[in-house]
Amino acid sequence: MSLTRFIAIAGFVLAAVLFAAVEWAARRDNSRIPTFAQMTGFVMQYEVGPVPVGRIAVFGFWLWVGWHFFAR
Amino acid sequence: MEQPSELTAGAVRTWDRPLVMVPVFVVLSAIGGLFPSFSLLANMYVLGIGGTLCWLGLSGRVPKRGVPRRLGRSTAWWLVPLFTLALIELAMFIAGSTPDHPTLSLLADPVLESYLPRSAVYFGWLSAFWGLVRR
Repeated sequence: MSLTRFIAIAGFVLAAVLFAAVEWAARRDNSRIPTFAQMTGFVMQYEVGPVPVGRIAVFGFWLWVGWHFFAR
Repeated sequence: MEQPSELTAGAVRTWDRPLVMVPVFVVLSAIGGLFPSFSLLANMYVLGIGGTLCWLGLSGRVPKRGVPRRLGRSTAWWLVPLFTLALIELAMFIAGSTPDHPTLSLLADPVLESYLPRSAVYFGWLSAFWGLVRR
């Protein structure tokens, strides 16, 4: 395994550990950190006039993720 | 930070429960795992299911959970994992997304070639999508 490949895998693992750590911190009693679901829900509330831009962007991103991993 | 309320859009419908949705997603994932990447069926299936969930989420036919009206400064903690992921992914993408510089999808491809892991990840994707629809 090359060094760059090792660094990439270690970086992705580190990102996953950090996600889990912040989510864990957010779920403690009286935490001021929102959970990932709360933060995503907040972003999805964003609207420009009658257009739910936040929802469209998040749904579009997640649809792309599914297509990218399962179909492309 | 203001705490979210519970369901905000009416009573929970009969079908809108884990007891119903989890088996539905298991079946959909089991079918989705059958279609290999780059096939027409895989494209049609993921776009069909994703499009349906987008429509459900945008049409307001599904009761939504409450979300905070404001977020405090502590939200910035989420930038740490997000930037870490984005930095590695972007660096590997710029380097060409090769076996020596793999992006996340390149690392996932060998895993997703097998039926069971592919179906399991499909289930995770569907469940997360449903969570977004409910937000």
